[in-house]
Amino acid sequence: MADATAPAAPPAKDTPPHTTRRSPLRRLLARPEVGALVGAIVVYLFFFAVAPPFRQLDSLATVLYQASTIGIVALPVALLMIGGEFDLSAGVAVITSALTASELSWQLTQNIWVGVFAALAVSLAVGALNGFLLMRTGLPSFLVTLGTFLMLQGLNLAVTKLLTGNVATDSISNMDGFNQARKVFASTVDIGGVDVKITVLWWLGFAVIATWVLLRTKFGNWIFAVGGDRASARSVGVPVGFTKIALFMSVGFAAWFVGMNQLFSFDTVQSGEGVGNEFLYIIAAVIGGCLLTGGYGSAVGAVIGAFIFGMVTQGIVYANWNPDWFKFFLGVMLLAATLVNLWVRRQATRR
Amino acid sequence: MERTRTRSRRTVAVVAACAAGLLMVSGCASAHGGKAAQQRAAALAAGHANTPRIKIAMITHSAPGDTFWDLVRKGAQTAASKDNVDLIYASDPNSANQANLVQNAIDQKVDGIAVTLADPNAMKNVVAEAEKKGIPVVGLNAGETAWQSEKLLEFFGQDESIAGEAFGRKLNSTGAHHDLCVIHEQGNVSLEQRCAGIKKTFKGKTDILYVNGADMPSVKSTITAKLQQDHSIDVVATLGAPFALTAVQAVSDAGSKAKVATFDLNQDLVNGIKAGSIEFAVDQQPYLQGYLAIDGLWLYKYNGNFSGGGTQPVLTGPAFVDKSNVATIAKFAANGTR
Amino acid sequence: MSETTPEGSGDFEPELTGSSTEQAPIVELRGAGKSYGNVLALHGVDLAVRPGTVTCVLGDNGAGKSTLIKIISGLHQHTEGDYLIDGEPVRLANPREALARGIATVYQDLATVPLMPVWRNFFLGSELTRGVWPLRRLDIARMKATCEEELRRMGIALNDMERPIGSLSGGQRQSVAIARAVYFGARVLILDEPTAALGVKQSGVVLKYIAAARDRGLGVIFITHNPHHAFMVGDHFSVLRLGTLELSAARADITLDQLTHHMSGGAELDALKHELAQVAGVDTGKAPDAER
Repeated sequence: MADATAPAAPPAKDTPPHTTRRSPLRRLLARPEVGALVGAIVVYLFFFAVAPPFRQLDSLATVLYQASTIGIVALPVALLMIGGEFDLSAGVAVITSALTASELSWQLTQNIWVGVFAALAVSLAVGALNGFLLMRTGLPSFLVTLGTFLMLQGLNLAVTKLLTGNVATDSISNMDGFNQARKVFASTVDIGGVDVKITVLWWLGFAVIATWVLLRTKFGNWIFAVGGDRASARSVGVPVGFTKIALFMSVGFAAWFVGMNQLFSFDTVQSGEGVGNEFLYIIAAVIGGCLLTGGYGSAVGAVIGAFIFGMVTQGIVYANWNPDWFKFFLGVMLLAATLVNLWVRRQATRR
Repeated sequence: MERTRTRSRRTVAVVAACAAGLLMVSGCASAHGGKAAQQRAAALAAGHANTPRIKIAMITHSAPGDTFWDLVRKGAQTAASKDNVDLIYASDPNSANQANLVQNAIDQKVDGIAVTLADPNAMKNVVAEAEKKGIPVVGLNAGETAWQSEKLLEFFGQDESIAGEAFGRKLNSTGAHHDLCVIHEQGNVSLEQRCAGIKKTFKGKTDILYVNGADMPSVKSTITAKLQQDHSIDVVATLGAPFALTAVQAVSDAGSKAKVATFDLNQDLVNGIKAGSIEFAVDQQPYLQGYLAIDGLWLYKYNGNFSGGGTQPVLTGPAFVDKSNVATIAKFAANGTR
Repeated sequence: MSETTPEGSGDFEPELTGSSTEQAPIVELRGAGKSYGNVLALHGVDLAVRPGTVTCVLGDNGAGKSTLIKIISGLHQHTEGDYLIDGEPVRLANPREALARGIATVYQDLATVPLMPVWRNFFLGSELTRGVWPLRRLDIARMKATCEEELRRMGIALNDMERPIGSLSGGQRQSVAIARAVYFGARVLILDEPTAALGVKQSGVVLKYIAAARDRGLGVIFITHNPHHAFMVGDHFSVLRLGTLELSAARADITLDQLTHHMSGGAELDALKHELAQVAGVDTGKAPDAER
């Protein structure tokens, strides 16, 4: 019963060439964000060539601002997709958060920060509710969050109308704490002579954190596992419910942050806004290499996806093209991104 | 340096205090703004008719939460409470759904219907059916070219193209050479008509820019991008009040000297005009449209009156609001009725 | 956390069923059974799993194999007889409790996540970390090294721990799952039909690892319906039939032919052959004794 009889001795037959180290190129291609990165470079060079104003650093700052407001939410949405779920309520949740902060401060005549933190609590609660309903009912997240999406949309409008009599909130720009909050959520930073919106810095900061969490922590491992194979994850002791609820709450957090940016950039909030943005977040994540079926993707990819989205949106304007075609280009990009992902996935799982 | 540090330390303190303040709300009361500062003017309230209660439906093509349509509805509500009318308000931007809503009103046997003809063809059948059932139908806002052929009783509104043309002429008087017409909902007929109207009368060059109206940061960066791309733009025309205020930010972000003018009004816009950040606004008086439509049906029911003799529309605009008359408008806008 | 070696043995031998010269069983069933409502799924089963041995449980579909696994792995509770772990009667509430006592189950679906790298799969749910919260992070270098070493000890040679486990062959994946269970302190390993979906060559790979696990001192419960596979590695054979134990024999007391005969229905099959011959004149002389 010693190791002598262990089959370690002649493993030659069991290690045919396919178990040898994969080539570096193959390994690189297996990274989820590679397809998106290639796409981003192509799109950048393309607009760099055809649109002279696009070459200015100021223009890049504008592109980045657009990308950041999509990208901040796209990050947790990407993690959530890796975890195997969708959140269709993210777009209107941004507005819900902004409305909460604005209305609470204004109606009760409180310092802005009271509203800001109350909005955070509400946003996290919405995320937790999504996750809880998902785990409790066993319905697909597509359905659960479609429900919350519609509910929030209705609440946004109805509660705003109820409180203000209007469909938009009152301006809070002269209230205490507004200027501080604006510094945090919506100021502009001078970087080398270029005015960069602070959301861009937050976005990149969040991206670093999200990447670290995804690849370097236990929780990140669990995200891949619950999205890749929920039953397997559960059977080896991964807390599936906790992981999913936490992911939904992180989407809530991002929605809160972008909601605050919106509130402090524009002073007021239109209650009907945000509809449709949930798809932009998902598009950014998918372009960035997240699989719709879960279990695969990256946070960096979502950053690149949002950046591509920003470049195309603004690039068409810089190039002074007929904007009627914008949606068409977006559609082409989404399809192409999905095909690249499919191909990459095949490469990754090929024997 | 030292000062910045103290300030940031104070910021942290306030933030922390206010986090705690969620429990003890009164500790963080804002000294400025907020509801406490709002002086609510007495709601518009006229006398009260003693005619028997009737039911009138207003069916529009508004998207939910639209500022403009909110004003139309408020006007209608005011007229309804004055005239002892039970107002049913419903809207759907999808024309087929809007037609269904009209059918719904017919099924409820209402005493009158006010409807927008954003897509006249889609509404033709249901309007004809209402007329067959003897329900008077009036038009408002959209459909100035179609209301007669569909035999509507009367029409309250302003042709979008005419408003656009007036806007263009007004721009000529400001000495602008190149304007950017910002459409916040791609494919919306009335918005396209406004821009087309501007293009027709404006002597300079007109560019059209589509933005995603449901996403303000995107609106801002797209306008910024356009201004960075084309430095010759010297006026930005937006088609809704909230977008004008965003355009002002975009202009400053892009370092452009362009002026901003807009369609429609709201309270913040009035402040913008006062402060000079917005050149002017053209107002088609949505409140008036809603009010007149309901009042018109009521008058028809109890006194047989109808405006325009079935051939002339009742125009509610264009009315210009600029620095010269903003003061008188301001107090009404503050009530959310202008 | 390193591999668990079998408990010190031989010092005290309580009187037990079966031969008494071997080590004390880790897991033992005495007349165990399970009924779901009125349906009796399992009845009067005796089974003893000793360290360093492979106990094969054979039986056709519906013979009660899966009920037996579910009882041992803590998924279901027995309704009659006794279930002892280390000689002490237990009633397990859930699989986690079984795992805590060193009883690990490798199911057919393997509980791996196909798109995740081998090392992440290996440590899934029990990741090694370093640092303090909020900077507590995965100790990737250690996990990769441990994973590689553990796999090598089981005779699995993989150079690239970053490969998605889905890109391994069925036999290799099965083996990684076994290595994982061994590493995480399993004393008893329950393998549910590990060779069922595999070809001859891959089955051989898995059988090799079963032997490797046994040689490392684990008690292995090998569930299968293939007597040939069972006979290659088994030390003790239990054949289930209609929820009861038809045969329980040590390797020394049985031949492959006998095992195959019992497995395929034994006496009943003889009767069936006879009947068929009478009814249709089927040439039963050449009818195989077993399915495989």
